[in-house]
Amino acid sequence: MIKITDLEKYYATEEVRTIALNKLSFQVQEGEFVAVMGPSGCGKSTLLNILGLLDDPDGGSFIFNGIEVAGFNERKRADLRKHNIGFVFQSFNLIDELTVFENVELPLIYTGVKPAERKKRVDEVLEKMQIMHRRKHFPQQLSGGQQQRVAVARAVVNNPKLILADEPTGNLDSSNGNEVMDLLTELNEAGTTIIMVTHSEHDAKYSHRIIRMLDGQKVTENVLSEYKSKTLEV
Amino acid sequence: MLKNYIKIAFRNLWKDKSFTLLNLLRLSVAFAAALLLGMYAFFDLSYDQFHENKEDLFQVYYSEQTPDGQELATSMPVPFAPALERELPNIKHISRYISDHALNLEEGKELDLRLIFTDPEFFEMFSFETLRGPVDVLKNDSQISITEETAQRLFGKTEVLGERLNLLVNGRNEVFTVGSILKDIPVTSGLRFDAAVNFTHSPNYAENVDRWDSRNHSVFIQLSADTTPEALTQSAVSFNNLHYQGNIEDLKRDGAQPNANGNYLELNLLPFKDIHFADFKGDYLKVSRAYPYMILGIGLLILFIAGINFVNMSIARSAQRLREIGMRKTLGAAKKQLFFQFWSESVWIFLIALLLGIGLSLALESPFRQLFNTPARLTDMSSSTLVITLLISFILITFIAGGYPALVLSKLGTLKALKGKLDLAGKNRVRNALMVVQFSIAIVLISGTLVLGKQLDYMRNKDLGFNKEQVVAIPLNGKRTNRQNVALLRNELAGKPGILSVTASDNNLGLGKDGSTYFSRMGFDYKGRGVSTNMLVVDYDYPETLGLQLKEGRTFSRSYSGDSLSIVINEAMARELQEEDPLNKQLIIDDSIKYTVVGVLKDYNFQSLNKKIEPISLFMKGDWDLYYAFVKVAPQNMAQTFESIEDAWKRIEPNAEFLGSFLDENIDRTFKRERTMTTIISSGSLIAIILSCIGLFAISMLVVTQRTKEIGVRKVVGASVAQITFLLTKDFLKLVGVAFVIAAPVAWWLLSQWLQDYEYRIELHLWIFLAAGLLAVFIALFTISFRTIRAALKNPVESLRTE
Repeated sequence: MIKITDLEKYYATEEVRTIALNKLSFQVQEGEFVAVMGPSGCGKSTLLNILGLLDDPDGGSFIFNGIEVAGFNERKRADLRKHNIGFVFQSFNLIDELTVFENVELPLIYTGVKPAERKKRVDEVLEKMQIMHRRKHFPQQLSGGQQQRVAVARAVVNNPKLILADEPTGNLDSSNGNEVMDLLTELNEAGTTIIMVTHSEHDAKYSHRIIRMLDGQKVTENVLSEYKSKTLEV
Repeated sequence: MLKNYIKIAFRNLWKDKSFTLLNLLRLSVAFAAALLLGMYAFFDLSYDQFHENKEDLFQVYYSEQTPDGQELATSMPVPFAPALERELPNIKHISRYISDHALNLEEGKELDLRLIFTDPEFFEMFSFETLRGPVDVLKNDSQISITEETAQRLFGKTEVLGERLNLLVNGRNEVFTVGSILKDIPVTSGLRFDAAVNFTHSPNYAENVDRWDSRNHSVFIQLSADTTPEALTQSAVSFNNLHYQGNIEDLKRDGAQPNANGNYLELNLLPFKDIHFADFKGDYLKVSRAYPYMILGIGLLILFIAGINFVNMSIARSAQRLREIGMRKTLGAAKKQLFFQFWSESVWIFLIALLLGIGLSLALESPFRQLFNTPARLTDMSSSTLVITLLISFILITFIAGGYPALVLSKLGTLKALKGKLDLAGKNRVRNALMVVQFSIAIVLISGTLVLGKQLDYMRNKDLGFNKEQVVAIPLNGKRTNRQNVALLRNELAGKPGILSVTASDNNLGLGKDGSTYFSRMGFDYKGRGVSTNMLVVDYDYPETLGLQLKEGRTFSRSYSGDSLSIVINEAMARELQEEDPLNKQLIIDDSIKYTVVGVLKDYNFQSLNKKIEPISLFMKGDWDLYYAFVKVAPQNMAQTFESIEDAWKRIEPNAEFLGSFLDENIDRTFKRERTMTTIISSGSLIAIILSCIGLFAISMLVVTQRTKEIGVRKVVGASVAQITFLLTKDFLKLVGVAFVIAAPVAWWLLSQWLQDYEYRIELHLWIFLAAGLLAVFIALFTISFRTIRAALKNPVESLRTE
């Protein structure tokens, strides 16, 4: 599903050029759950931004679903993004002015889904995330765990093929954190590919494979559990 | 999607109540101010524009090339109009016009009427609609045309055709039959009257009917559609040569130079639609709509400032919404969608503000009408121009002021927005430019307020050469002859406490409560040269009562018997006569009657202050009428003395309204335009300053937010509160400085242009502009200090934590 080859990203100011990604290469199969780990500044977040089509690499190749997307402009990226990728952030990034229902509904609005269909799908996903009873609340009225569940609901409502999670438990206590990790695992088991950036060894254990990074490069890769691509099974 | 926008728009507005309220307040105040000023300006511009034939209607005036330069005159002799119509082609209609007063003599209904004397064609030329009776009613010499309102006042009903009216007109009793009822005169009409009669009833008509040397009325003409005013001027040359041969020869004899067309005397036409904006300056005619346009301009400036403010404040506040923008973009929102979202929020604010503004302007309409002394009404202003202007301004302000921030926000990078970084480095230039513009406007308006205020003050307090504080002028509007009433008033007041002296003349000083202005000039030959003078008929004690200074000779006195052939002149007249020692010189005026100069008065400002002091001659002719009584009172208990004068008048003329007023009030009344202008500019600058301050406040908020980390770091390494405050303040001061450099010359130029209109004016000093600039600096400092000092006082850890 994802194949990156010699991916490069620089941050340049007038005098210094910082290398964020240094000829990074790896692949992710459809249906896989991959954790990316590494110390601060190793390029994890940069990688996630590029994988999430929020940013453009400076060099190398990025093939998403068989299409070379490196060099896409913001409009094309946005288009691909909204149909294929869901995001879960450490700080939830829910819109305070919208209710739970409306927050989850937002991606469907931007992909042009009709209102009746939207309501059906939002209700479904809220039900699944066990947050239906809170549908009319605003984010500030929810606990952190509940907020992150809403964020996950928002990430999956469009049935994306890929979910990118940036430290999804970073702002949560351990029980709420575990709940969110269980949720992600469930989604993965239902077929969604997940790439998660984390500092937590505990969370990383939920994944099939851990990629460790340092200075913009991949240093090790541990496979935790065997995973067979569903597409291969077919 | 739309529903979503509306929903989030209202939630956002609701969430930040103080911001929304501030925005609404500011914008609705700006809309209301612009609306009221627009109403005022459009009303002024609509003066005399309702006449269907306005394109073909003109007022006739003559320009005469005297040895001292050009002189313009709008007064015409009685035979002029009939001769012109007879002898020149292309005149469709012509009418003579005198505006006067008449007293209804019906017992118990002794009302003063504004009566005009005019020709029957008048009502065919001008669109004063006739409700009942024929349009050419004045063809019948004994008929009178009255307005509906007048009919109501006089008869209590409007169906009064055939009723008789017994009027006192210039001391004569005349009976008229009501021949037509007119619709009330529109408020935007410059010609205002209650009743109209045939021109043959005008004062001294019979004796003037063939005289070309006595001028006392205006003439309006309607040209046929296929001709031009220039063509008429051209074809009138031979007419002038025929009828004014003597005048032209005198001018040549006195050494006058012909004008560019080779004429000594030229008939010119002033378009009737320009009359309201025309000012006959004596030697030239100035038609200018600058005044209403300036007021309209102030309204637009206020809107402009409000718009600038809105832009700056929206961008400032967007810092709080960066994550939302980032998230929406992450979720796939296109630029267009974000643009519409933010723009629609602005549109709602503008729409609500517009409605509030309209409400506010309706609520403030009546105080505004009083303050600015205008009969304009918002409801009368459904004129398409105003509605269209309003609509265009609204759409423009919504598009630009609402669109620009929306554009900036929608173009933010997804990642940057998500991280909450507001990278507006490039936008600062736009923002700074907008602030400079805003402060420049404020400085220009502040300078305007200072200069106008000073000029008004100067004119009010200027020594006019007569005693304006202690003299009451009373328009003589009684039933008896005016001379009788003056004598009765003298008797009534004689020996009363506080009364110093009583006199009378045929003209007022300043503008009395009767609202009439009038001047009388005449020309005659003196030592083989044409000279001209203003005329004033006075009673005994006139110079003494008014406190005029005698330069040499004497004033009129009861101890001299032949004073009806004496005249007292002013210094300007002595110069006009070119006499070093004018005393005892004889002037042959008015059909070979010899008058002897017995006294010379020091020059005094008997006309408005935008005119040089002209020659004036005082006559004491018992057979000429007097129209105003003057009473000098002692400076103590003036209010009480004023009441006793009113009581005396009521005893003499129980049914005539007492319209007496102190001369300083009368002078003040002539400054109506200046006062209105000062009020408009000062309230305009006040609104502009308040709006600018709110905007500045918002910007200081933004800057402090942007520099929070810097402030924290600086404090950690040892910067003091004062140093931080100065750091944050100096950038703003630079902007105000730039604004001052731009605004001061503009203000200087505008104000010196304006002062040109005044013969007596203040000097423009640099300190006025410096004061305006300093005031702007002070206000700016005060406004931003709220935020900067708070930021500087903040615990540095808090500042650092935000990163």
